[in-house]
Amino acid sequence: MSKKVNPVWSFLSSVKLTICLLVVIALLAVVGTFIPQQEGAAEFLSGLSPETANLLVRFQICDIYHSLVFYLLMSLLSLNLIVCSLNRFPVSRKKVNAPGLPVSDDLFIEKSPESILYADMAADAAVTRVEGILKEKFKTIQKDETNGKISFFTQKGRFSHLGVYVVHLSVLLLIAGAVIGSLFGFEAFVYIDEGQSVQEVTLKGKPVSKTLDFAVRCDKFTVAFYNNGAPKTYRSDLSFIRNDRIIRQGSVLVNHPLTFEGIRFYQSSYGPSPDKKAFLSYTGKGGQSREMALSERDVFELPESQASVTILRVEENIMEMGPAVKLNITTPDGDIQFWVFQHIEEIKNMNPGIINEVPMFNPGLFEPYVFFLHGVEQKFMTGLQVVRDPGVPVVAIGGLLMIAGLMMTFWMPHRRFWILIAPDGGKTAIQVAGKSSRNPEAFAREMNLIRNAIKESIAA
Amino acid sequence: MTHTTILSWVTFIYFAAFIFYLFRTVFGKEFWGRLATITAWTGLAAQTVAMLWRWKISYDMGMGHIPLSNLYESMVFFAWAIVFLYLFLEWRAGNRVIGTFVIPFAFLAMAYASIAPGINDRIEPLIPALQSNWLTTHVVTCFLGYAGFTMAFGSGLMYFVRSLAVPGSNPANGWTARLPLPDSLDMLIYQGTVLGFIFLTMGIITGSVWAHYAWGSYWSWDPKETWSLITWIIYATMLHARFVRGWRGKPMAIMAVIGFACVLFTYLGVNYLPGLHSYLKA
Repeated sequence: MSKKVNPVWSFLSSVKLTICLLVVIALLAVVGTFIPQQEGAAEFLSGLSPETANLLVRFQICDIYHSLVFYLLMSLLSLNLIVCSLNRFPVSRKKVNAPGLPVSDDLFIEKSPESILYADMAADAAVTRVEGILKEKFKTIQKDETNGKISFFTQKGRFSHLGVYVVHLSVLLLIAGAVIGSLFGFEAFVYIDEGQSVQEVTLKGKPVSKTLDFAVRCDKFTVAFYNNGAPKTYRSDLSFIRNDRIIRQGSVLVNHPLTFEGIRFYQSSYGPSPDKKAFLSYTGKGGQSREMALSERDVFELPESQASVTILRVEENIMEMGPAVKLNITTPDGDIQFWVFQHIEEIKNMNPGIINEVPMFNPGLFEPYVFFLHGVEQKFMTGLQVVRDPGVPVVAIGGLLMIAGLMMTFWMPHRRFWILIAPDGGKTAIQVAGKSSRNPEAFAREMNLIRNAIKESIAA
Repeated sequence: MTHTTILSWVTFIYFAAFIFYLFRTVFGKEFWGRLATITAWTGLAAQTVAMLWRWKISYDMGMGHIPLSNLYESMVFFAWAIVFLYLFLEWRAGNRVIGTFVIPFAFLAMAYASIAPGINDRIEPLIPALQSNWLTTHVVTCFLGYAGFTMAFGSGLMYFVRSLAVPGSNPANGWTARLPLPDSLDMLIYQGTVLGFIFLTMGIITGSVWAHYAWGSYWSWDPKETWSLITWIIYATMLHARFVRGWRGKPMAIMAVIGFACVLFTYLGVNYLPGLHSYLKA
């Protein structure tokens, strides 16, 4: 670092700035949870006066997490994080590499006389025993001899001081991952009717569609329910098709997306497809017709009568009387409309005379034809979220590093131990001292363990 | 007897434990402390049995899922996490000082789970969004985090009560003066915060992984996500203020209270805002 105080540098390196930025970001985030965002905003804005609504739109309050202000704050936070880390790193590196020996004089000064252990043996013998104990507990031990005093130094967790930089790096990676995702990825949505295939998906938040370089077909959509009516499974069976060839097939379930060529497909929504099929036949002048599969607005001819039949409605269950279709028959003499129920015989049995009372329920209203409904097939459409996010691996690494960095910082304290051995009269005096970067209580316990181990070994 | 009967007993056991911890603080007799510890362990054991029982019942009913799937079950687990974390630290540190200010929250959580309106204690099958292996990790880490913040909050409250004691007054006369010294309370606030912060971080990250598989995006600014981030930012600010600017004592206690208010809003308040986590209303 240069000695000159660069005002920009010192502004960016201040923790006050960090705290201010964090507080402002938190406040904006709060606003975003109370004011409807993105898709939800339109309804909210329409309830406000035009001036207020304009103001909110101009300041991007209704898309606050993607607003210019938010991006600026995040950039400033990243910069602040980098500058702060660079500024403090030399100090931390010093702590990591701090030599333990020679023992500094003040380390043992405040020790009470009771804390000194006395061994009834020569210093050399005591040194051997202490060294044995330390070798059991620690990987590396340093030894020093000055003025007839022998000192040992050992430590663990010295890289704890770097944990905070790992956390800061992880935050930068998370932000970088989000930027990569928003620049090179996309988020889109598509509804596919069962049996249909699509190649175009609608981008989220934009009225623009994107063409995939393959087609997706929904072969089948399944929804299953528990006995209490709660949904149990939503599943779409998909085929990925290119050049009319099925390249891959698979099922998408909630919590089990499918990835095809870097694009992920998620089960997101479903609905009844407007494409309901009615299976209809009739008897008439030409005898029994074959069974036809028809959708709403389909038209077929009755050539013998110069009439045409239009399917007006296809219902799975109308008025609790089961499946039915409503037909409109255009004849040279005008239009006739009536319903054809699948279970017409049961309905007639339950309500004798209903066909005379309600001619609309008579499947033979257009004489001499009688129409028969054999069933209605309700089809579904599946709603899929279609996502490409090349930032995900970066974010994943960021998440892992963040947990690792926090653990280093808080759960791997830097503990340093010194043991001083000196002849004292006919005996040998042994003193233990230590320093810990965190959690003094646990450290005191560890110090005690070491002291007791030494005590035992010199008593033996 | 059913597991819900046990759980209602546990509520009262935790209340008793709180009373014993309170007696210990007020009368200064370690007898009450030992009784409180035994009572709390009994409650924790009974609650563990009840939760395992509930888990087994869900398998007997053919749904088979860990009891962490709705507001009721999470509230019961919250109480469990508070007591578990507290007793673990009491055992590690051999110190009962914050019991009086932490155990009542376990009691409150249990009481809220059983009497709050609209809380459904039936065992229900998992909807598709919850059918994930990440459910357990996400909920457990989040609630251990919440429990850590509860400890910090309890210690913060104790800090304020302690500061009511007249400086230099005789510990034999005023019970407030027998509370731990401000320095040790500051340490307890800090430890609770660190525990909470690490677990909350894990909770948010496991939640993101889950969201990545379930919703198609690791982060979608859903109100619960956003509020968990706000909570995280507040505690991050608190830790930075401590390490870099040397905040100790009162400001830390205030931050512990603000942070805990955010935790509660993240947990309960957010359910009143529209969002992806709103199925927790059930």
